[in-house]
Amino acid sequence: MTFRRAAALLVLSLLTAGSALAQATIAGRVTLPKARPGPVMNKRYAIVSRGGVLSPYPPVAVVYLEGAFPAAPRPPLGTKQMKQQDLAFVPNLLAIEVGTRVEFPNLDDTYHNIFSYSAAKRFDLGRYRSDERPIPAEVFDVAGLVTVRCDIHEHMRALILVLATPYFVLSDTEGRYRLENLPAGHYRLKAWLDSKTTLERPVDLQAGAVLPASFP
Amino acid sequence: MISAPQAKPSTFAGFRLKLLVAMMLVVSAVAAVALVFAQRSAAANAQRQFEREFSDRLASLHAVEDVRNGVLAERCRELALRPRIHAALEDNALDLLYPSARNELVDIMDEPSASAEPRAYALHTRFYRFLNGAGRVIAPPESRGVGNLSAEEEARLSLPRTPDRPETGYLWRQSSPGEPIDELIAMPIVSTETGEIIAAIVLGFRPVDLDSRPAEGIKSGLCVGGRLYLPALASGEKATVAAQVATAAAAHSEGSFAVQAGGALYRLFYKALNPGSLYPPACEVILYPLSPLLAIEQNLLWKYAFAAALLFVGALAASHLLSIRLSRPVEKLAVDSEENLTQRKRAEDALAFTSQELQRSARFSADASHQLKTPVTVLRAGLEELMAGEALSPAGREEISDLIHQTFRLTSIVEDLLLLSRLDAGRLSIAFSPVDLRALIEAGLDDLGTLPEESELKIETELPAALSVAGEKRYTALILQNLLENARKYNQPGGRIRIAAREEGDWVVLTIGNTGRGIPPSAREHIFERFHRGGVGEDLPGHGLGLNLAREMARIHGGELRLSQASESWTEFELRLRRSGASA
Repeated sequence: MTFRRAAALLVLSLLTAGSALAQATIAGRVTLPKARPGPVMNKRYAIVSRGGVLSPYPPVAVVYLEGAFPAAPRPPLGTKQMKQQDLAFVPNLLAIEVGTRVEFPNLDDTYHNIFSYSAAKRFDLGRYRSDERPIPAEVFDVAGLVTVRCDIHEHMRALILVLATPYFVLSDTEGRYRLENLPAGHYRLKAWLDSKTTLERPVDLQAGAVLPASFP
Repeated sequence: MISAPQAKPSTFAGFRLKLLVAMMLVVSAVAAVALVFAQRSAAANAQRQFEREFSDRLASLHAVEDVRNGVLAERCRELALRPRIHAALEDNALDLLYPSARNELVDIMDEPSASAEPRAYALHTRFYRFLNGAGRVIAPPESRGVGNLSAEEEARLSLPRTPDRPETGYLWRQSSPGEPIDELIAMPIVSTETGEIIAAIVLGFRPVDLDSRPAEGIKSGLCVGGRLYLPALASGEKATVAAQVATAAAAHSEGSFAVQAGGALYRLFYKALNPGSLYPPACEVILYPLSPLLAIEQNLLWKYAFAAALLFVGALAASHLLSIRLSRPVEKLAVDSEENLTQRKRAEDALAFTSQELQRSARFSADASHQLKTPVTVLRAGLEELMAGEALSPAGREEISDLIHQTFRLTSIVEDLLLLSRLDAGRLSIAFSPVDLRALIEAGLDDLGTLPEESELKIETELPAALSVAGEKRYTALILQNLLENARKYNQPGGRIRIAAREEGDWVVLTIGNTGRGIPPSAREHIFERFHRGGVGEDLPGHGLGLNLAREMARIHGGELRLSQASESWTEFELRLRRSGASA
C-alpha cells in the first residue's frame, strides 16, 4: 500500500510537472469592506453577524476560480482541521473543496458542541472534550457556506466555504491575493467577501502569464 | 260694651301654630338637607370604594404581569443567547427554530396534560410563535409543543414590525370557547453580539384572572378590539356595552360610567391594558352592581328618615314648649294691649261724656243767662217805675234803690255767666287787633274815680308812653276792669293801688297791686275758681266770677293772669298779654 501510494505520487508529480509548463497565475487585490467594529461589537467574535450577514473580522476575502477545467489527474483531497482553541475556532474562515473532510479537534479543557444548521451541511457533533477519539470530523460534500457554531459558547462561530473548485486562496487582510498553477482558459474569477456578497469577473488565462485582476 | 281682655284665644292659638309650623319647616329643611348630603356622601363613598377596588385589582393584575413579564424577558434574553436559535434564524434554518426553542421553553410551555392545575398557569404559555425580523409569524413545522392555533389566529399574532419592547395584546380564540381570550406578550429577541433585534417571540397565556369574588355580583371581563368578553352579559347587551367602552376608552385610558344590563344597574369601570401597544387596544372591564349600593342608600334613607322622624317629634315637642314660652309674653302683650284698649275706650267714653256734659252745661249756662237777663231787666224796669212814684217814703225809696242796685248786680252776674259759658263752650273767638292798653287803663282809672267811695285811695301808675297789646278791645277792657275793681274792692281805707306796665320781649307785663288784708295762703290757690271769693266777707260786693273770667279772658288772648304777690298787706296780680305786632 505504501508502495502503491508512492507510485501514485510519482505519477502525479510527473503530471503536474507536465502541466506546470502551461501554468497561469492571477494576482490582484480585492477591495475589502471596511472593518466596522461598532460599539456593540463583541471583540470575541471572529465571525460577526450584522443584519443577518456573517462576515469575517478583520475582513478577508476568498478568491477562487470557477469554470470547466480540463480533466486532469488530481491528487486526493486531504483532511483539513478546524481547531477549537481558547474558546475560538482556528481558523475561523476555512475554504475547502467539495468533498474535503474537516476535523474539529478540541484543544480546550472544556466541552464544545460543534453544530451547523446551514443548508449546505447540517450536522451536530455533540459534546466532546479534547480527549475525544477519533477526532470528530465531517465531510463537506455540498458546495456552499456553512456556519459552524458551538452550542455551549454562543460567541464561537466559524465559516467553512465549500467550493466546487480546487483553485482558491485567502487574501491577506489588505485584500492582496495570488492564485497560482491555474490552467489556461476562460473562467470566472470570484471573490467571496461575506455571506451575502460574492464578487465575480470573467478571466482569460494564458499559460505562463500573470493576469492582474482586482475587485472591483 | 267692653269685653274681657282674654276674649281672643284663637289669635294666640294661631300665633302658636304659626310658630310651630315655622319651626317644623326649619327642622324639616335641616333634616332634608342632612339626608341629601348623607346620601350623596354614601354614593360618593361607594364610588370611591369601587374605584379603589378596581385600581387594587388592576394593581395586583399588573403586579402579577410584571413578575411574569420580568421572567419572560429574562427567558427571552437567554433565548437570544442560544446559539441554536441564532443558527436557526441567521442560517435560515427556520425549520429547526421551533425544535431548537422547544428545549429552551419546555418548562414554561403548558402541556395539555398539565392543564388540570388551573391556578398555576400564570407563567405557563399556551402557545408561542416566533416573529421574523419583519414582525411576521414564522410558522412552526408542526404544532406539537408550540400550542395549537388556527391559521387565522396565527396570522393575528403578526406585528407591523419587530417590537423593541414587550408588547401586550389579547387574542380572541375560536378554538377554545370556554376561555375565548388569551393574553399575548411579544418579546423582542436581541442579539447579544450587536444589540440588534433579530426576531421576536410571542407567547400566549390565559388572562390573569383575579376574580375570586363572583358572589358579590361583580362581573369582570375584557374588551378587545371592540369586542367584549363578559360572560355575565347577554350577547345583545355586549355589543352596546362594547361600543360604549370603545368610545370611552378612545377618549380616556380609564374611567367609569353607568350601564344597564340584565335589568340591573351597574357601574362599569374600564382601563386600557395595553396603551400604545402594536396589538389592538384592550381594556379591563369590571361591572360593579349598583343594587347593593342602592340597598345601602335605601337603608340609609330609612335610617335617616327614622332619625328625621325622631328629630321631627323631638322638635315638635321642643317647639311646642318653646312656642308656649315665646308666645306667653306676646299673649301678655296682647292682653295688655287689650286692657289698654279697654281703658282708652273708657277714657274716650268718659271724655265724650264729659264733653257732652260740658256742652250741655255750657248750653245750660247760656240758656240760663238768656232766660235770666230778660226777667232781671223787667224787674229793674218795674223797680225804677216804683221809684218814680210819688207815694214812696224815703225809707221805701232807699229800699227800692237797693233792689235796683241788686238787679244791676244780677245783670252783671248773668253777663259774666253768659260770657263764661261761651268761653266754656269754645264759642268765643277773639278778633285780634292792636289795643291801646294805656288808654284802657286810664279809662278804667277814670271810671274808678267816679265811683262813690268813702275811702280815698291813692293810685300810682308807672306806664310807658305807648303800650299796645294784641287783643279784642272789649275783652281786654273787661280783664282790666275786673282787676281794677278787685284792687279797689279789697283795698283798705286810705290804701293805694299801683299799676305798672313794661315790655318783656314779645310780652306786655302789667302788674296791678293793692294794699289790703291780703289773701290767706290757704285761699291763694282757689282765688281763680268760680264763685270763690277769697274768704272775704259777704259785705263786699262781688259774685266770685271776676278773677275767673279775667284769667279765662287772658288765656283766650294767649296770655296769662296770675297772683304775683300775696302778703298780708299787699296783693298784686300780673297780667301777661301778647305785645301788638309781636310774632305769634
